[in-house]
Amino acid sequence: MDKKKLQIALYWGAACGGCDVSVLDTNEFILDIAAACDIHMWPIAHDGKYKDIEALEDGFLDLAMYNGAVRNSENEHIAHLLRKKSKVMVAYGSCAHIGGIPGLANTFTREEIFESAYLKNPSIQEGNKTVPQPQTEVDGGELTIPAFYKRVYKLDDVVDVDYYIPGCPPAPEQCKAVLSLIVSGQPLPPKGSVVGASERALCEDCQRKKDEKMIKQFFRPWQIIQDPEKCLLEQGIVCAGSATRSGCGVRCPDSNMPCRGCYGPMPNVVDQGAKIISSVSSIIDSQDPEEIDKILSGIHDITGYAYRFGMAGSLLQRSVR
Amino acid sequence: MTTECKIGVYVCSCGTNIGKMVDCDAVTGYTKNLPGVAVCKSYKYMCSNPGQEMIVKDIQRYGLDRVVVAACSPRMHEPTFRAAISHGGLNPYYLEMANIREQCSWVHDDHQQATDKAKALTCAAVKRVPFHEPFDMQSVPMNSASLVIGGGVAGLTAALELADANQPVYLVEKDGKLGGNLARIDLTSPYLDSAKDLLAERICRVTKNPKITVMLNSEVESISGYVGNFKAQIKSNGEAVTDIEIGSIIVCTGFREFDASKVGEYGYGRFPNVVTSFDLEKMLKEGRVVMKDGKTPKYVTIINCVGSRSGKYNRYCSRVCCMTALKYANGIKSAAPDAFITNLYTDMNAFGKGCEDFYRRSAERDTIFMMFDKHAPPTVSAAGKGEHFNMLVKVNEILSGEEVEIPADMVVLMVGMEAREDSMNVARLVNISRDKDGWFIESHPKLDPVATSTDGVFIAGACASPKDIPDTVAQARATTARILAKICQGEIWVEPVYAEINEDLCSGCRVCNELCPYSAIDYDPVKKRSAIISVMCKSCGGCVAGCPSGAIKARHFTDKQIFEQIEGVLEWASSRA
Repeated sequence: MDKKKLQIALYWGAACGGCDVSVLDTNEFILDIAAACDIHMWPIAHDGKYKDIEALEDGFLDLAMYNGAVRNSENEHIAHLLRKKSKVMVAYGSCAHIGGIPGLANTFTREEIFESAYLKNPSIQEGNKTVPQPQTEVDGGELTIPAFYKRVYKLDDVVDVDYYIPGCPPAPEQCKAVLSLIVSGQPLPPKGSVVGASERALCEDCQRKKDEKMIKQFFRPWQIIQDPEKCLLEQGIVCAGSATRSGCGVRCPDSNMPCRGCYGPMPNVVDQGAKIISSVSSIIDSQDPEEIDKILSGIHDITGYAYRFGMAGSLLQRSVR
Repeated sequence: MTTECKIGVYVCSCGTNIGKMVDCDAVTGYTKNLPGVAVCKSYKYMCSNPGQEMIVKDIQRYGLDRVVVAACSPRMHEPTFRAAISHGGLNPYYLEMANIREQCSWVHDDHQQATDKAKALTCAAVKRVPFHEPFDMQSVPMNSASLVIGGGVAGLTAALELADANQPVYLVEKDGKLGGNLARIDLTSPYLDSAKDLLAERICRVTKNPKITVMLNSEVESISGYVGNFKAQIKSNGEAVTDIEIGSIIVCTGFREFDASKVGEYGYGRFPNVVTSFDLEKMLKEGRVVMKDGKTPKYVTIINCVGSRSGKYNRYCSRVCCMTALKYANGIKSAAPDAFITNLYTDMNAFGKGCEDFYRRSAERDTIFMMFDKHAPPTVSAAGKGEHFNMLVKVNEILSGEEVEIPADMVVLMVGMEAREDSMNVARLVNISRDKDGWFIESHPKLDPVATSTDGVFIAGACASPKDIPDTVAQARATTARILAKICQGEIWVEPVYAEINEDLCSGCRVCNELCPYSAIDYDPVKKRSAIISVMCKSCGGCVAGCPSGAIKARHFTDKQIFEQIEGVLEWASSRA
């Protein structure tokens, strides 16, 4: 083990695996990472065990990149462990940053989630009564599995976080830029910074033409043939671009899909979803309450649109039913 | 900054207004222990001279740098206390008011709960005020020229008043001649003066006055800018466009009459001798009251409240029709001395100088008055064959309780006033609001009746609500007093509380562009950024909430300040738990 090399660990909490893949997506740069770093854990590519991390001295790791949200006690346990063992803790990707897609589960209670997943789901055996329990008595002792929390947390709800790299997943170029900076030994930005992203909204980099916005009808992307030159929001497609940091490379709008908001809120914004809702409702072109209702009914699942990534980190945080 | 603040808190009992429901001593006792509070006092009338002096002295004695006054609505006394702390040497914007009167004592009937709420609101103000920023008033130059839209009696009066004060005026009239609705009228009630006399002299003076540029057959195409510095484009005769620069705008676009054919039971349009009040005015001006066949009518019925005070048409009273109907009774009597005149009314609204006397005199001249229920209006039908009159008016006379049939050769419908069909366009043009009936909305119905929500734009006459001539003229003159006051000052002081766009955060998405009710947001297509013209901004906060990028900040209403206020309420709640 060469101590001059950067000591790093990557981990996934409640995640889909995409963030881990995004690091691989840096292509041959991965060889530079391997040359510059000792990788102690990286679930998708490297066989690091929890006990190996536990055996390290506190603060031994130069960098821990945690992706995924905190959904259960295991996620939280490893978050604490990595925090203890590393000098710099990075929340990598939307889930660690603001809760991500798993955070949408916060609109339901744990009981509702279990009922839907284990009891009333067409893909499970009829009459199933088994739901996960943290402890189960069996012959020969007690079995335990991680406890499923009442809600999803973002990473900095449970541990101190130094930097945030947003995105679902972060754009490989941004991942590369941040890792290069750390490897180069140059001074790091102030603690708490969102790195690998712009300080302006996506509209800054989106090449579609923007005009004044007066919406008479909302559409889902497949419902209309869109004008590829024109702002998607002006065409009635709910695009989160104006409420979302740029930095992704405008991947979605350039592929004729609206921005979904994965790069999270702008620097001054407390609640990205609230911003999406208030801006979308601001551009409806009607004064008539009935017509407004009709126009709004064109948006299916406003919570899903506005809080697709930010529910756990929002002012709402979760359903309190 | 926050920990170093020395806050003075002053709790007002407003005589008994606050004190009778809120325990002000308890509020003081709670507040004085809050972090940052250097001194906390209660007093009977904080807005009185001794109250204000107490604050001024304390600022010096305790070295206060922030002041909270827990009293009435800031709409009432914020200017008072801002001036007071300014006198004490603090920036006026270092003040925060907690409204424990309108939001507490006046709306609650439980002492404990009202007191609790007063504590919570005061705590919120104490948490907020350290984050206040100092501001200085800003001034812009005042162009002394004015644009008057509409050449009726209001517009003529306003134009003359300004020109007599030696200020330039552009008078824009849509029609080919001046005079407006008043030019359609013969005599005026209650003194039966000639409308022509009122107008002719004014029109003559207006057209001769070198300070007034009269633009007939003209319409305002567009208006940009802000108070003291407007630019307008006037289109004349459908083509020629004149650009003018003005400091103030007076809207005097008047009214239109209610369309009587909407009321089927009166037969307007069906019976040739059912006429509207304006049809009759035309006859009176020509000096002959005659039926379609040229004969003089023997039986004339006047029906009041046509389209007015009705659940079906306009709910409001048009104010002038009752007296005008009396005027007609007189006028018809003069033109056709043998005529029998019946006046059907719902209520006789004879307020106003000389009007009650006029009603009495008219009653003495053999006019028969019959009252009907506004929900059960009379009906007009054709008379039977062989009758010596051509129509029959049926009415449930409510004073006698009898159903009465009245013969009629002519029926006069007293049509009410309505907002003009183009009032929406005018409102958009000058950026003012309309009420549900389409009348332009004044800044304050009692205290500021001729100003509007847009600085520098004034309204006068019947474009704001139905009005008689004296009220219209009074309003027209009032607008000029407001404008001349601003011209005398030479510059306009504008509130420094406005929204501003942080160019470093704006991505040019243009969500805000259509949001501003005051047209204060400009988009720069080269820079691809939106910007707010601060003097036009009223700090309503619409764009601040709407901006998806968090690039717009409302000065004096920042997110931080509002969140601290919320924290304050929660802090009080947790202190109680």
